[in-house]
Amino acid sequence: MSVGPGLRAAARWTRTWIRLSLTKNGGLGARYRRGEEILVADHLRPTRRAAVLGLAAGAAMAGRSSAQSASLRFGLTPVFLSSDLELLDRLKAYLEAATGLRVELVSRRTYQEITTLLVSGELDAAWICGYPFVAFQDRLSLVAVPVWRGRPLYQSYLIAAAGRGARSIAGLRGDVHAFSDPDSNSGYLVTAAELAAMKERPETFFNRTLFTYSHRNVVRAVASGLAASGSVDGYVYEVLREVAPDLVASTEIVRPSAWNPFPPIACPKSYEAAERTARLRDALLRMAAAADGRAVLQLLRLDGFAIEPAAFFAPIALAMESVRGMG
Amino acid sequence: MTGAIAWLRALPLAVRLPLLVAGMMVVVGVVASERVLARLQAAQERQLGDLTEAYLDGLSSSLLDPVLRGDPWEVFDILDRARGLYAAVRPLETIVLDGEGRVLAASDPRRFPIGSEVPRQGVDAPTDATHVDEEQARAYAGRKLSIEGREIGSILVSIDAGPILAERREVLFTLLASNAVVTLAAAVLGWFAARRMVRPIRKLSAHLTQALDGPVTPIPQAMIPAPGTEVGRLYRSYNALAAAISERDALLGQAAEEERLASLGRLASGMAHEINNPLGGLFNALDTLKVHGDKAAIRKNTVDLLERGLKGIRDVVRTTLATYRPERQVRPLRQADINDLRILVRPETGRKALALAIEGTLEEDVPIDAFQLRQILLNVLLNACRAAPDGGTVRMRVGTDGPSLVAVIEDSGPGLPEAAGHVLRGSLRATADRGGLGLAITSRMVADLGGTLAAETSQLGGARIAIVVPFASGEPGGEVRDVA
Repeated sequence: MSVGPGLRAAARWTRTWIRLSLTKNGGLGARYRRGEEILVADHLRPTRRAAVLGLAAGAAMAGRSSAQSASLRFGLTPVFLSSDLELLDRLKAYLEAATGLRVELVSRRTYQEITTLLVSGELDAAWICGYPFVAFQDRLSLVAVPVWRGRPLYQSYLIAAAGRGARSIAGLRGDVHAFSDPDSNSGYLVTAAELAAMKERPETFFNRTLFTYSHRNVVRAVASGLAASGSVDGYVYEVLREVAPDLVASTEIVRPSAWNPFPPIACPKSYEAAERTARLRDALLRMAAAADGRAVLQLLRLDGFAIEPAAFFAPIALAMESVRGMG
Repeated sequence: MTGAIAWLRALPLAVRLPLLVAGMMVVVGVVASERVLARLQAAQERQLGDLTEAYLDGLSSSLLDPVLRGDPWEVFDILDRARGLYAAVRPLETIVLDGEGRVLAASDPRRFPIGSEVPRQGVDAPTDATHVDEEQARAYAGRKLSIEGREIGSILVSIDAGPILAERREVLFTLLASNAVVTLAAAVLGWFAARRMVRPIRKLSAHLTQALDGPVTPIPQAMIPAPGTEVGRLYRSYNALAAAISERDALLGQAAEEERLASLGRLASGMAHEINNPLGGLFNALDTLKVHGDKAAIRKNTVDLLERGLKGIRDVVRTTLATYRPERQVRPLRQADINDLRILVRPETGRKALALAIEGTLEEDVPIDAFQLRQILLNVLLNACRAAPDGGTVRMRVGTDGPSLVAVIEDSGPGLPEAAGHVLRGSLRATADRGGLGLAITSRMVADLGGTLAAETSQLGGARIAIVVPFASGEPGGEVRDVA
C-alpha cells in the first residue's frame, strides 16, 4: 500500500494540531466538565471536524502499518517508577523476544500525551489509565489487563501526612490537595467522583489543587508538606511502600476507595485485529510462564495479565458521568 | 601606670627581655591574625556570593516556566532536586514567590505553605547581593524573575553560613593557638638568651657590690673570655680598676703608717721638751743638795722638788709607752687614758698657749680597745690643736651614752676644709692634696671599732668632731703594765 507524500504531510499536520489543542486546554477531566469542544467532545458528539480527524488518523495508520510492520511501538504512562531503566530494558527485551518484533518503548510526561499518541495511531499499544480508555472506548480496544494480588483490580487512596488522623474525604476540606494527573482514574477521577456524590467540586472543596503528573510525586508532595493531602494510585502506593519505605512512612492512608479496574494495555481499535497486537497480547499473557517475563513482573509487582471485556471498565464510565454531571 | 612602668623597670633584664619579645610577638600575631581573618572573611563571602549566584542562576532559568504557569508542584520539584544538585551551596530554605509576593512553593512547604505571605525575617526585600547574618549563621540572597521586562515572581534563599563561620572560628583558634605557642617559645628562648647574655654583667655586678663592703677582688683570669669580646674588654677594664684600687689602698695604708710615725716624731720632740724642762730644775736641785744637803729643811724641799720633777718625767714616759707600745694588748678604756691625753697633747697646747678643756669622766672601765681609742682621740685632739689659732680653745667631752662611748672634740679654728668633709662622708677618696689624710685614717680606725665619726661645725667656730663607738661585746683584755 503506497501513500503519497502529500497525504503523509497532512497526517503529520493533523497530529501536531491535536497535540497542541490538548496541551493548551489542560487535562481531559477539566475539559470533560467544561464540555469544551475538542477531541473528546468530538468523540461524544461527532461533528464534521471529528470526521476529518478520523480520516486523517486512519490514513496515517494505514501509512505506518506498511512502513513499520516489523516494529512495535509500545507506550508507557508514568505508572510508577518512570526512571526505572532496568525495568524498561527488561520489558523491552522480553517483549522483543516474545513477539519477535523490534520494540520501541515510548514514555511521556503526562497520560494525555500517551493517550493522544495512542488514539492517533502513533503507538501500536500503550499501558494507559482506565479513565482515558473509557473516554476513548470507541477508538481503543483492550489488549490485556494486569493482575495484581490475584485480581485485575486496584484502589485509589486518599493520603495525608502521617499522624493527621483523618478517616474520610470530609476531613480534608480546605486542604492543598495533590492530584497525580487530570487523566488519571485513581489520581483524580475517583476523588472527583466522590466529591461529585457530595455535590462538591475539587476546586471549591479544596483550598487549592495541584497536579504532579506522577503518583510517586503525589506521595512526595504530601510527605514534604507541599500538599496537605493527595489522591494516589493504591497499587503504586503499595509498591512504594516496598521500594521507598521512608517516603511512604511520612504519609498515611485516609481511606482506600472501592476496587477499580486496573489500568489496562490498550491499542487503537483499528489495530485490534493486527498481527502485532495478537503477538503482544500473547506475550503479555505468557509473561508469568517465562523466566524473563517473571523477572519483569517481579519488578512491576504484578502477577500477570488477563483478558477482560470492555464492560469491565463500566465503573469508571459511571464515575466519569457523575463528574461530568457536576460541570 | 607609672607604678607599672617603675615595676617593669625594677625587673631584671633576664625577665624584661623575654617579656619584650613576647609582647612584640603578641602585637605581630594580633596584626597578622587580623589581616588573615579579614582576608578570609572577604574570600569566604565572595565565594559564598559566587555559589549563591550560581545557585540562583540555575534555579531562575528552570523556574521561569513553572512560575509563569503558577505550577507549585514543578517549582517544588525543582527546588527539591536543586537541594541535592547544589549541595555545596547548602541552601537551608528556598522560597519562590509569585508576582503578587505570595509563596508559590518553598523547599520547606510546612514553614512556608502555598499561598502564604512572605516571611519578613531577613529575606524581606530580595536584593541581588548576598547578605550574611552571623548571629543566625545564615546568608540571605534573592533574585527577581522576569520575562520580557515584567516581573513574574522572585526567589528568596537562605543559605547555611555555619560552615564558613565555623571555618573562620577554626582559623581564628588555629591562629591563636599557633601564636600562643610561638610567643611562648620566643619568650622562653628570649629568657635563656637574655640570661646567658646578662650573666657576665651580673657577675660584674656581684663583684662591684662586694667591693662596697670589703676588698675589691679581681675576676679570676680563667673566667675572662677572649679580649675581642665585649665581655672580655669589660672584665679586663674591671680588673684594671680593681688593681688600681688595691694599689691605692696599699698606698693609703702606707701613708697612715707614715702619718703615725710623723706624729710619733712630733710627740718624741714634745716629750724631749717635757723631759728637758724639769731637767734644768733637777740639776739645780742636785747642786743645791750637794751644797746644802746637810741642812734638813733645804734637803727636804730639794728632794720634794726632785721627786716632782722625776714624777713628771715618769708620767710623760709612761703615757708615751702606753701609746706607742710595740706589742699591742687589748684592755678596757679607763679615765687614766683620758687623763694621759692631756699629757700627750701638752707640748702642742703649751707651744700655742691653747686653753684645753677636758670634760666628763668615765665612772668605770669602758669595754673598748683602749689602745685604738686613745690613738683615735689623740689624732683628733692633735688635729684640733693644729687647727686652733694661737691662744685658741680646744675642748673635749667624754662620756657614755647607753652601750656606747661618746667623745666630742671641738676647736676654735677655721673649721674643716670642704674636701676633708667630703672625705669623711665617704663621697671622696682622700688624697694628699685634698688633705684630711689623718682624718680619713682616723675615720677608718673608728669604723674598725664599729663606730662612727661625724664632722660638724662647732659653736667655738671651728670643727666639731663627734665620735660614737659601741662597747665591744667580748671581755676586755689584760691589764696594762705599770711602766715605773
